[in-house]
Amino acid sequence: MGILGLSKLIADIAPQAVKECDIKNYFGRKIAIDASMSLYQFLIAVRSEGNQLTTVNGEPTSHLMGTFYRTIRLVENGIKPVYVFDGKPPEMKSHQLDKRAERREEAEKELQKATEAGDQASIDKFNRRLVKVTRQHGEEARELLRLMGVPTVEAPCEAEAQCAELVKAGKVFAVATEDMDALTFGSTVLLRHLTFSEARKMPVQEFHLDQVLDGLGLKQEEFIDLCILLGCDYCGSIRGVGPKRAIDLIRQHRSLEQVLKNIDTAKYQPPEDWSYQDARRLFLTPEVAKADDVQLKWSDPDEEGLVKFLCGDRQFSEERVRNGAKKLMKARSGTTQGRLDGFFKVTTTPNPKRKADDDKKNAANKKAKSGGGGRGRKPK
Amino acid sequence: MFEARLLRSSILKKVLEAIKDLLTQATFDCDDNGIQLQAMDNSHVSLVSLTLRADGFDKYRCDRNISMGMNLGSMSKILKCAGDKDTVTMKAQDNADTVTFVFESPNQEKVSDYEMKLMNLDLEHLGIPETEYSCTIRLPSAEFARICRDLSQFGESMVISCTKEGVKFSATGDIGSANVKLAQTASVDKEEEAVVIEMEEPVTLTFACQYLNYFTKATSLSPQVQLSMSADVPLVVEYRIQDIGHIRYYLAPKIEEEDS
Repeated sequence: MGILGLSKLIADIAPQAVKECDIKNYFGRKIAIDASMSLYQFLIAVRSEGNQLTTVNGEPTSHLMGTFYRTIRLVENGIKPVYVFDGKPPEMKSHQLDKRAERREEAEKELQKATEAGDQASIDKFNRRLVKVTRQHGEEARELLRLMGVPTVEAPCEAEAQCAELVKAGKVFAVATEDMDALTFGSTVLLRHLTFSEARKMPVQEFHLDQVLDGLGLKQEEFIDLCILLGCDYCGSIRGVGPKRAIDLIRQHRSLEQVLKNIDTAKYQPPEDWSYQDARRLFLTPEVAKADDVQLKWSDPDEEGLVKFLCGDRQFSEERVRNGAKKLMKARSGTTQGRLDGFFKVTTTPNPKRKADDDKKNAANKKAKSGGGGRGRKPK
Repeated sequence: MFEARLLRSSILKKVLEAIKDLLTQATFDCDDNGIQLQAMDNSHVSLVSLTLRADGFDKYRCDRNISMGMNLGSMSKILKCAGDKDTVTMKAQDNADTVTFVFESPNQEKVSDYEMKLMNLDLEHLGIPETEYSCTIRLPSAEFARICRDLSQFGESMVISCTKEGVKFSATGDIGSANVKLAQTASVDKEEEAVVIEMEEPVTLTFACQYLNYFTKATSLSPQVQLSMSADVPLVVEYRIQDIGHIRYYLAPKIEEEDS
């Protein structure tokens, strides 16, 4: 999933493209959220004593709990979220999906072993690895969001690609996902850690594509080639080429074709039948619904509907659900604070160069920070 | 070499008090004409624009334009070390990474200097177009501070509506509602105490009280404050600082939700 090591590479080479902001600063913004990614996070992270929250029949409800409360948190901060759901996976991803299935099998075996040995820590660990977002989870979350009055969009294919389309067309301000390939698809602004729990005090990371390209010294097409070389979901990459060498190669040769011509293929073996051209096409012209055809409409929450949906079998506390619905309602009524940058144009961003020097000094510091985003991500 | 000297350190102290709650850091841009500061608060709702003209200083020298990024919390701490009657001098070398504040007591017996590290800030600069406003209201600054403080107890936001009868400030909240009306002063004995309204067409706008309360920290800089408003553009709150410049605050209005 995502692009291997891209966020670290950006943090090292183009630190000025990454800003850390407080969630409060996004009030009034419309933000497209990659739903499968967040559902996945919730299934992993929202737990009590290491176990998922479930209905009376043992069906998980962690994803609903997460979607409900964290969406409320966004709305309370004045953000207008849109959830974008995955459609069918592209054929090119099947290879990656096979690999994931293999890994699940392994995890299952490990889990059995751990259960026999009674090793609680490992049981938890492998339990989490077995988490999978199913069709049904998606359906439930969509129903919940409908009741909350939050719009959803079903992408024909990959959600990240659809999010990117919405941002590019200016329908939303940014994409919120942990997957860096949203940038490869051309999203102008990417937010990470937006749907994380408040308790973790994780600042929201904001990536600007133009500054990323500027900092790396690449054009969008070259950036896509770089991402393929780093390792994406759609095809293999060259064995033995790490992030550092990848950026050097692309900077020097400017395209994968040229890279292939110029490197020693005996030493660095490209995968057999390497379908990088198809992957590139997928990033450049993904299958998406046109932004103009997508209608985003926020509406009032349906309090009774929410209570009916969440309480009862799904065992949510009625009081808390009603409270949540009131919060949603409150955020809708009244006025929204305007932003000055909506009235005045930004003219200059002074001395980026001095900033770059400054960041070099802090580089060691930065690296340690960027390494730490591990929890709540899909296993590779 | 940059050097700026003020006989009354209290001006600089008050300026810092007026901006340090809104901004944590800012760049002081110095050139021949004086010192300029423009910065938005973190949430990009309000903007501070400060001008201190070179001729308002007792001594001013700026050989080469410099931009000094300062942590305003630290700067405020340093200025608190100065006595009100002290003379203050700001100094920096070209391309320096520190700035020095020198305080001298009136009888020259005590001289203290404080050096502060500068920061490399990359802040967005906004171009603010010259605007003709539909309404400008001048009123005593203490009065305005009082109104903001009183009304913020009733609600998060305040409606300012200006008509030819006068200006009305109102707020509504859980405990009830509050309205303050000010009529134009009929006869002006003291200019400083007058309420003067110039109006092309009536305007009603809603603003967050929290920010207005930040702005009124500048009250001690000037006996009068001027509010400028037009429909659907930011409010301007201006405090003139006698003989040296002004501080202007811009605040984006709250907008009625369009149903999308």
